[in-house]
Amino acid sequence: MAEYTAKKLVQMLITVLGVITLVFFTLRLIPGDAASAMAGDTLSGEALQALRDQMGLDEPLLNQYLGFLRDLVTVDLGETITTRISIAELLLRALPITLSIALATIFLSIAISIPLGTLAAFMAHKGRNWLDNGLTGAAMIIDLMPSFWMALVLLLIFSLGLGWFPASGQLNWSDPWALTLRLALPVIVLSLSQVATLARITRTAVLEVLNEDYVRTARSLGWSELRVLFRHALKNAALPIATVVGLSFGNLLGGTVIVEFIFTIPGVGNLLIAGINSRDYQLVQTLIVFYALLFVVINFATDLIYKTLDPRVQF
Amino acid sequence: MIGNIRKLLAASLALLASIMLVLSASSPALAQGKTLTVRFYDDPAGFDPANIFRIENENLAFNIFSGLTTYDGETGEIIPDLATSWETTDNKTWTFKLREGVTFHKDYGDFTAADVIYSFNRVKDPATASPYASELSGIASMEAPDPYTLIIELDAPNGNFLHTVANYHQGQIVSQKAIEDAGDQVRWQPIGTGPYYLDSIDVSSQIVLKRHEGYYKGPAPIETIVFNIIKDEATATIALRNGEVDLVMRSNKEENLEVLEAEGFTMNSVKDYAVVIGVLNPEFEPFANSLVRKAMAHAVDYASITQAISPSLTQPHNSMLLPWMDVYTDDIPTYEYDPEKAKALLVEAGYPDGFTFKNLGTSAQGVTELQQFQIDFLSQVGINMEMELVDTPTFNQRRNAGEFDMASRLLPAVNPDMILFSFLHPDNMVPNGLNGARYDNPEVTTLLETARAEPDKEEAFEMYKKVQQIVAEEAAYLPTYSNNVFWPGKSEVTGVHINYLAQVNFYDVDIAE
Repeated sequence: MAEYTAKKLVQMLITVLGVITLVFFTLRLIPGDAASAMAGDTLSGEALQALRDQMGLDEPLLNQYLGFLRDLVTVDLGETITTRISIAELLLRALPITLSIALATIFLSIAISIPLGTLAAFMAHKGRNWLDNGLTGAAMIIDLMPSFWMALVLLLIFSLGLGWFPASGQLNWSDPWALTLRLALPVIVLSLSQVATLARITRTAVLEVLNEDYVRTARSLGWSELRVLFRHALKNAALPIATVVGLSFGNLLGGTVIVEFIFTIPGVGNLLIAGINSRDYQLVQTLIVFYALLFVVINFATDLIYKTLDPRVQF
Repeated sequence: MIGNIRKLLAASLALLASIMLVLSASSPALAQGKTLTVRFYDDPAGFDPANIFRIENENLAFNIFSGLTTYDGETGEIIPDLATSWETTDNKTWTFKLREGVTFHKDYGDFTAADVIYSFNRVKDPATASPYASELSGIASMEAPDPYTLIIELDAPNGNFLHTVANYHQGQIVSQKAIEDAGDQVRWQPIGTGPYYLDSIDVSSQIVLKRHEGYYKGPAPIETIVFNIIKDEATATIALRNGEVDLVMRSNKEENLEVLEAEGFTMNSVKDYAVVIGVLNPEFEPFANSLVRKAMAHAVDYASITQAISPSLTQPHNSMLLPWMDVYTDDIPTYEYDPEKAKALLVEAGYPDGFTFKNLGTSAQGVTELQQFQIDFLSQVGINMEMELVDTPTFNQRRNAGEFDMASRLLPAVNPDMILFSFLHPDNMVPNGLNGARYDNPEVTTLLETARAEPDKEEAFEMYKKVQQIVAEEAAYLPTYSNNVFWPGKSEVTGVHINYLAQVNFYDVDIAE
């Protein structure tokens, strides 16, 4: 296990370095820079050049790259180019918000999708396919709906129509109830597509296990159906489910970018969009490295959990 | 295994709880008194007048700072602000009498002529890297014989100097001590003499302004203005309808305006805020020919297009200047929709079969409905317009460098002289300036330079009029439509007068009981 962990860590490091390099140079390949992004309709000529100088955009690329690596190693995230605010400060404010949304979504989706998927598998196993078909159909429809559209529809129904949830406003951390209401819609939007995916995976995994010999043995011992289902079938189906949960956490981080924009939530996703729009290299590259790290760490954790769940797994 | 998951779950919950606990300590509490909640539509980029860019940030700076002059909220005229009066005999030497008893925010002391000299020098100083340095570059010297008198000597006469020193960008007065105290955080610690001061800011969520109790006209009616950042237009509309905000800073979608108007919200607006013009690059051969440019102008029916797409937000317009500008004239050649005439002009120009050109646009906007109509109208006279979509920074970069066949520009400026100079004077030809049509007509250049120096308003007007006539006659640029700005709000919110810079002086705003 120790050797395995060490090998994985080295792989992680190489991956992250690759991402850093790729992001750094791709960002600069895109035409237009922070100065021209700010320029808008009125700025050009000498004034624009002055702005570019002030932002340090004319430094040789290699110097900028090495500087960025040095900053990362010394954990100095620096300031945004356009607003001169400490990136560490911005990230520390935004991160808890995005993580709260992501974690709440993961918990909610697991809590709904695993029992639902298991039940669907059980029914299918018994030859009653209506829940199974219903689930597959609903999952397909949800997958087809773009999340920005779904977000607006939910806003119209639950915020404007029924008045249950606010559409905007500060995130008030001292009032848990207000906070829950404020974050409910984004979490619901994200959970819908998560539930759709997870329930289908669970259903397939459990259904496969239900046909195994040990399940039949358990049944023949006279155990209740529920006990068979949750103690034996689900436990053995956990492996593929764990993998998908890990992967979907990564997708979720992408999803938060859109819902944060629509629901005006000051999370990491919103920062990223602002950074891209203003061509703030420093901000964007730092955030992407951060996302990459998070992704790699989650994959790493998934691998470890996988190995813990099934020690037979070889890598 | 179950045990592991349980542990993981417990650990995550504990983490979440501790995060919430830490953050709960920093939540702001609002004070008593009247509070106005306004939708702000982007992340703020800072409020240092020397470096301010985006219009929504300018809106806050407009209320935090003052200039020697300002714009009347209702009429748009230049009126006194920190200067109570001024005089000049030759447009070259300007003597301003300054207001006494004006104080800066947060105990930064009294305002005097020294502050004006410092503020203007700061913008001119290359170390500030202010994009507005060129606007003040005509100042040769400044002196203050006493703390409330300021004499500004210009290099050359400029009849439009009162626009330069208005409460806008380079004209906004800062306090030297405040600037020095703020260091490199000037943009986040704006100290001015305006009706409101910046109380707190959370860059991606909320900005709070508080009224300046020592404002020279007396404290404003509203004590606290909270700007909630809501970027999505549809969400902003819902927030207003839900009562989460009292006023929406800029609503740009026709369908949202219709909904809000039908529900009885006050549709605060200003008409003819800015012109959108087509810029044709003469390095693309057909566009060097004025007959082709005229054919382009005759070929598209902007009246029908604006009526069809956004009757509230736009109307057709055929001049580079707007009717409310003091040197505007409608006595210029115009190009009515006439496809037959367009075809005839193309034949005369030597393009009987038309031609194909690329119109540069941004991928953020995509191919707009307006452009779809343009494509259709132009194709009917044989001109094939293709869209070339790039992202916004690329668009800006290429437009500034003049790398396009056709591009469009919004002309937002209250100073007509600045518009004409920027777009018609050969010194400002791309990439040095905004003259993307590479327009260079010695007669117009002379008229522009003479008009600026002319102290007699009537005579200056005649010259500006002549410029507008020549430019329209040559179809140097293609004016298409002018647009309107809307700030829909609850009916209780009064006094929202949007000026021609699309700014609102919150000193005039109140909430009816």
